Amino acid sequence: MRTAMANRLTPYMFMAPAIVIMALALMYPLGYMIWGSFRDWNPSQTIGEAEFVGLKNYITLWGDPNFHESLGVTLRFAFFVVSIEMVLGVGLALLLDRDIRGISVLRTMFILPMMIAPVVVGLMWRYMYHPTVGTFNRFLDGIGLPTVDWLGQHALMSIIIADIWQWTPFIFILSLAALQSLPRSALEAARIDGATAWQQVIHIKLPLMMPVLIVTGLLRLIDAFKVLEVILVMTEGGPGLSTEILALRISRTATEFRELGVAAAMSNYLLILLLLLTVAMFAFNRWQETRAARVQALVEEDD
Amino acid sequence: MIKGLKSTAVGLTTMAFMTGAAFANPYAEYEGTTLIVNFPAHPHYNAVMQILPEFTKQTGIEVEVDQLPYLKMRERQTLELAQDEGEYDLIAYVVFSKADYVYADQLENLAKYFMNPKLSNPAYDAGDLIDGYVYNIGFAGGDKGYLQGSTGSLFGIPYGSETSVLGYRKDIFEKHGLEVPETYDEMLEIACQIPELEPGMGGLSSRAASGHHAAHAFLLHLNTLGGAIFDDEWNPVVNNAAGVQAAEALKSIVDCGPEGATNFGFGEALGSFLNGDTAMFLDTTVVAGQIDDPSKSQVVGKVGWAMHPMGVKRASQTGGFGIGIPANAENKEAAFLLMQWLTSKEGDKLVAMAGGNPSRFSTHADADVNAKFPHMATFGEALQYADPDWRPIIPVWGKINADLGTTLSKVLTEDLDIQEALDGVAERTKAVMEDAGYYTWN
Repeated sequence: MRTAMANRLTPYMFMAPAIVIMALALMYPLGYMIWGSFRDWNPSQTIGEAEFVGLKNYITLWGDPNFHESLGVTLRFAFFVVSIEMVLGVGLALLLDRDIRGISVLRTMFILPMMIAPVVVGLMWRYMYHPTVGTFNRFLDGIGLPTVDWLGQHALMSIIIADIWQWTPFIFILSLAALQSLPRSALEAARIDGATAWQQVIHIKLPLMMPVLIVTGLLRLIDAFKVLEVILVMTEGGPGLSTEILALRISRTATEFRELGVAAAMSNYLLILLLLLTVAMFAFNRWQETRAARVQALVEEDD
Repeated sequence: MIKGLKSTAVGLTTMAFMTGAAFANPYAEYEGTTLIVNFPAHPHYNAVMQILPEFTKQTGIEVEVDQLPYLKMRERQTLELAQDEGEYDLIAYVVFSKADYVYADQLENLAKYFMNPKLSNPAYDAGDLIDGYVYNIGFAGGDKGYLQGSTGSLFGIPYGSETSVLGYRKDIFEKHGLEVPETYDEMLEIACQIPELEPGMGGLSSRAASGHHAAHAFLLHLNTLGGAIFDDEWNPVVNNAAGVQAAEALKSIVDCGPEGATNFGFGEALGSFLNGDTAMFLDTTVVAGQIDDPSKSQVVGKVGWAMHPMGVKRASQTGGFGIGIPANAENKEAAFLLMQWLTSKEGDKLVAMAGGNPSRFSTHADADVNAKFPHMATFGEALQYADPDWRPIIPVWGKINADLGTTLSKVLTEDLDIQEALDGVAERTKAVMEDAGYYTWN
């Protein structure tokens, strides 16, 4: 009897260390943040001293126009950067997936922007966007075109461009890896059947790459929702609130307004949003796989 | 008997000697102590670093400095001060932190140190410290809760404090026969004349970027033009006629300023003046050192200084840093001795000569200091008008300030109507104040 019990418990005992570490490393900080979001907590207090206010922080945020504006900016920013980066990154991968001389050097150069520290990227772009001495305006001026108020009138567009510059390589490198691991037999078969290069891309390469692309897109999306340093350095969220994405607002709420509880509540809203997106994307992926399996089954039945 | 007398005499002599020694060196008890202090990376504190070895030489007290960028410093202090036993014996803090730290009971009240005859130097001459600075950065608990007054007490001493002055390009003003502006109307008129007289040059470089930069620039004008954020009952009055006038002044300055002025933070505004892209600079006194430094400035020797122009009254800002002793410090008495030495007449002059911002009237008038830094006399004159109450120093100010700054940025960049913008700020400020309990007694 005792042996049977021990046998049943053995797997759990093996799992126990991992569970304990997970609970400590993952769940505790998360729980701390959730607990903090129910409190009127200022950084001069310990969490225990802070007054419990229930859902007040969440309700206040729900009606706060500045929070809405930040959320809007975040959604716009994430939508534009991820969609443009996906198109450019996958496009570049499709173009460079071939044997050209010096391709490895070219590939390394493409991924350089990703390796630069975000603060440096922010500073670099800020100076390139400088109204008088910046690279872009000097160039425009040089060819006789009117200069552009990059970080003033077009601040959101400017930070989107900088982000695209930095993160397109990430999508490029993952797409390239996906492309190179595609089954050559399918492509060969298509070529024998007379498929054009464009048809191969649309009907074979992209559908086969889809699972990787979904994960890549998701990773970029999560990252785009959390980007902070580059924007902080470039615009500090301005002018007005036009580039104040949620991560920046959270940081300002915690440090400038000294409202840790509200900042925690805002982080939780962001977390919920990201969870929803992740679930939605995986559900979509699953749905596509099932559909593909169904089509496959139908094809087999027909045979 | 004789033996007894002898030993008494020896004892008395020893005591007399010891007392004498104590008078000669009040620092003896603390010799060998190592103080850990937290200072910002700031021109004034860079100068302080040069004079600390002199303190150690005179007193035998060692000082270890943790010098951090200003925002990092505040973050670090927030964490440190909440501990039971803190790492720091002395901290430099910005004015905003006064409200937070005093409210959370994290700074020592300095009364008990100044009362202690063993610690307090009778030659300190506290009356010589610049009143505006002391009230702004040191006092709390008096008028409005955050100033001096019958119920107020002292929690810190100004050190690295600043006020506002007008820097102007002497060469440009001479070339076009312009008079140095005395009033706001004159200043605004000249600011918008400059781009016409000197194509490519901006009138006045001002901070204007979204957030605290725009708010700071606005407040600089608001006080002088007779406005305020609150009336005496904490009702927001920022949207009254003076508020609108201050915002109009800011807009006009930015519109007539150098290209890209709407995104200028402090660094860009100063940079533009240092590069010779603007003719005037209305901001803190802390920049004087950089303007005269040929490695940083292209306008060395071309800049004159004048007082912050008059609106309905003469008033300049007060800001910068003060030093205080954390309530959880380990070596509080030795920290007080360092604080007293740094802000004494001797210490203040030393730091001024090393390029720091003096905190005493006498240092501003000192012949040696003026020989090395000729602008010091004008700064000293401006300090007579340094207003400790040019902006509220209350715990919720950070939030109000950010809202004010982002809204003003919309006025500057998106042409939001000024009255509408300030009405919005007033309404939201009212809600923040209500929430923080400022109308409990109404």
